[in-house]
This record gives sequence, C-alpha cells and structure tokens, in this order.
Amino acid sequence: MLKNMLMVLTLGTMFAFPVHGSAETSPTQTVHESVDTILALLRDNTLEKADRRAKIRANVKARFDFEAMSQRTLATNWKKASEQERQQFIDLFSQLIENTYIGKIEAYTNEKVEYPGEKVKGNKAVVETLIIAASADIPVDYRLYKKDDAWLVYDVIIEGVSLVSNYRSSYQEIVMKEGFGGLLAKMQEKVDELQNEPAPAPADTATST
Amino acid sequence: MVKHMKQLIAAVLVLLIPVCGIAAGAVTLAYTGSTNLVTQDSAPDNSLLADAGTTSPAGTVAEDDDLPFMDDDDTVLDVYDPLETVNRGIFWFNDKMYFYVMKPLARGFRYVPEPWRVSLKNFFNNLYSPVTIINAALQGKFADAGNELTRFATNTTLGIGGLFDPSKEHFGIRAKEEDTGQTLGHYGVGPGPYLVLPFLGPSNLRDGIGLFADTRMDLAYYIWGKDKDNYDYLGVVAIKMINNLSLDKDTYEGIKKDALDPYLFVRDAYAQYRQNQIDK
Repeated sequence: MLKNMLMVLTLGTMFAFPVHGSAETSPTQTVHESVDTILALLRDNTLEKADRRAKIRANVKARFDFEAMSQRTLATNWKKASEQERQQFIDLFSQLIENTYIGKIEAYTNEKVEYPGEKVKGNKAVVETLIIAASADIPVDYRLYKKDDAWLVYDVIIEGVSLVSNYRSSYQEIVMKEGFGGLLAKMQEKVDELQNEPAPAPADTATST
Repeated sequence: MVKHMKQLIAAVLVLLIPVCGIAAGAVTLAYTGSTNLVTQDSAPDNSLLADAGTTSPAGTVAEDDDLPFMDDDDTVLDVYDPLETVNRGIFWFNDKMYFYVMKPLARGFRYVPEPWRVSLKNFFNNLYSPVTIINAALQGKFADAGNELTRFATNTTLGIGGLFDPSKEHFGIRAKEEDTGQTLGHYGVGPGPYLVLPFLGPSNLRDGIGLFADTRMDLAYYIWGKDKDNYDYLGVVAIKMINNLSLDKDTYEGIKKDALDPYLFVRDAYAQYRQNQIDK
C-alpha cells in the first residue's frame, strides 16, 4: 500500500516536471528514474494497453531529445533539408525510435537492470546499464547531454550498436538512391504500418511470423 | 540415395546455423551483430559529419547551432558490399528459412522449461570455451584468458559438466566474448567484403574464415565431429542454434518491424557490433 502510494507520488512528480531534474541530478539518476518509471508502467496490470503506451510514450518523449537525434542521424542531409522537411523528419523519426526502444524494453520487462557505471565529460555523459536476463546479459548504454540543467538522451547503444549510427548509414543509402522525399515517404509508410498493427504479444508466446 | 538425403539434411542444417546466429547475436540487436567491412578510404564521411556538427545549420532552428555532437563519439562504418545483389538474395532466403523453419522449431523448443534450455545453452557455451581462451591469449589479453579458463574449470566441475554457470552466479565472473575473427581484426585485418552466409546470416570474409577456425577449437567438434562428414557436429550446431533462438526475444522480428530496409539495418548493425567487439 505504502509502496503504491510512493509509486503514485513518484509518477505524479515525473509528470508534473517532465523534462527536468535539478542541477544536481546525475546522469545515472536521470536514466535510473526514467527506466524505473517505464518498467513500473509496463508491470502495472491495471492500466489499459493504449493508456499504458501513451504514458510510456510521454516518458520517453520527456527524456529523449529527438531533434538532436534527428540531426545526428541525417548529418549532412540535415543541412540540405528545408525547415519543413526537418520537422517532418523529426516527427516521423521520433515515432520510429520510440517504437523500437519501447519494443526492446517491453521484451525485458521482468528482468533486472543494473547500473555498472557512468562517464561524464563536460556536458555529455554515457550511462551504462546492464539488463540481466536468464539467458544473457545485455549491455544498453545511454548517451546524454545537458540542456538547461537537465540530462537528455541523444543516443542508445544496445550491445555496442548505436541506434543513431545504425539509422544513419541506412538512411544515407536510401537518400542517395531515392532522395530525401523518398526517405520521408518510406518512413511515413512504416509509421502507418506500425499504427495499424495490433498491440504486440509478450515475447515468449509471440506468434509473429 | 540415402546418402544424398543425409547430405541434403546436413546442408540445410548448415544453412540454418547462420540465421540463428544472426538472430541471437545481432539483434539485441539486435539489433544485432555484423561483419564489419570498414573501408578506411571512406574518410569523406567523417569529415562531413564533423562539418555538420560544427557549422550552424542554415535553417532557423536556433537551438541546433550549439549541438557539438557530430565530432567525437561517432564512427561511421562504411560497409564494403560489392556482392550486394547476391547477399540480398541469400538474405531473402535466410528470412524465409527463419520464419518457416527455424522459428517454428524454436517455438517447439519453448515447451521445454526455460531453465533447462538455459542449461543446454550453458553446456554448449562451456564446450566452446577454448575458442575464447585461445583467442583472448592470442590477443595478449591474458587476464581475460585466465578469467575464461577459471570459468571453464569451475563450470565443468561445480557446474556439472557446464550445465550451470556458478562462475557467474556465485563468483561474479562473467563471460567474455572472443573469437578468431576478432583476433584477426585485433591485428589489423580488415573485414573484407560483407557476406551473408546461407543459414548463418551476416558475416564478412574475415569473420567467415574466423568462424571456420573457431569450429576447430570447439570441444563439441571433437566429441561429435569424428565421423568423416561431420553430420553429427552439424546436427549439434543446429540444435544449439535453435535452442538459442528459443531463448531470444524475437530480435529479428523487431528488426523486420522497425527497419525501413532490414538488409541495410542488419548489415550496418553487424559492422558496428563486430567493430565494438574488436575494440574492446
């Protein structure tokens, strides 16, 4: 009971002050808090599915800087894109990243997460986390930077593979072959596809084919 | 006739192996692991990135101007993929094998309680220990080689032939991953052309050769590989792959769902994954 109360308080606080953390909040605390909040939402059986997704989404949005991610992902293509194209890209890209990241986290809802360490250099930091699953330990590192006293995530590295770098190479190739418009069209198609899909089944009983 | 059937089955099993490897490795990959073809002559990419980071975007988004991101912590691996057409064909084939053969088999395996499957995985990993020990030593990482040797001795005895992992559970000694491809990379051998191996998935010339050498250090090869044609060993490898796949949390499905072009996604993830392993 007390635990639930605390949970409610914690969640309430998170939502009341979405992006922030005081100046003293360390990068690890920041990530720890967000991961705990998301895991708590995933484990909360009283939530409706759509409701849960929306809440998780709000959390991810508050913690990830999608504009920085978009800029890094597009690199040179970002410079060439018009303002409108950039906004469209940020919008689509954030939906894709959210989906990938949340899907990943969902698969490991019941596992323990450890925080082996962090490296801070100026206004940038890397927070290491380790998901301890029965069959393997999965390293997931978060890259953050400080913006107005809050630490924001601008890349996630899963088993040594950076999400941003990975998207960058594929996207670059698509832009080269089909132009920026082609890339946006493909992204839009993917986003529509993901939205029309029923909520994913738990990994162990997955029937995806 | 019978002999041919046997060969056919063996061939199919060999093919399946890569797929499983892909799924299990990269993914978490997922997002996945990869053969790295890093062409060093692609320096223009890096300079472009640095450029993007340090100059103000022409646009009106003021906040962007001071994001000093592109310069330091990113390496872009350009994958050398002259065989893309062929690779895409094999990728398509592996994809079908994954969904119509490997995954259904792995789903069948899921009827076996998870702790048993984890034990089976531990058992095969333990037999694979010489690969890690030898390659850590070859790279001069003697502390890691000792670490792996200790794990092997402990898990073979206290862990009852490797079925359990008391090294990790009780002594906190966690496994390292080393293989011949990494050793070659450590000494400066580039990845060579990217290859999608039938059944085995993403690789490259260097890692493909490394993989062959690895099998010769796998104790399972000496236990089950005695018959002339290695069918027993291939069968063991296939079981190992399906079992690992049964423990995997649908990594490949995730990639298929999220990626605009799964082929490119896996290829680039593999390159990063391997480079990361080599750099460690």
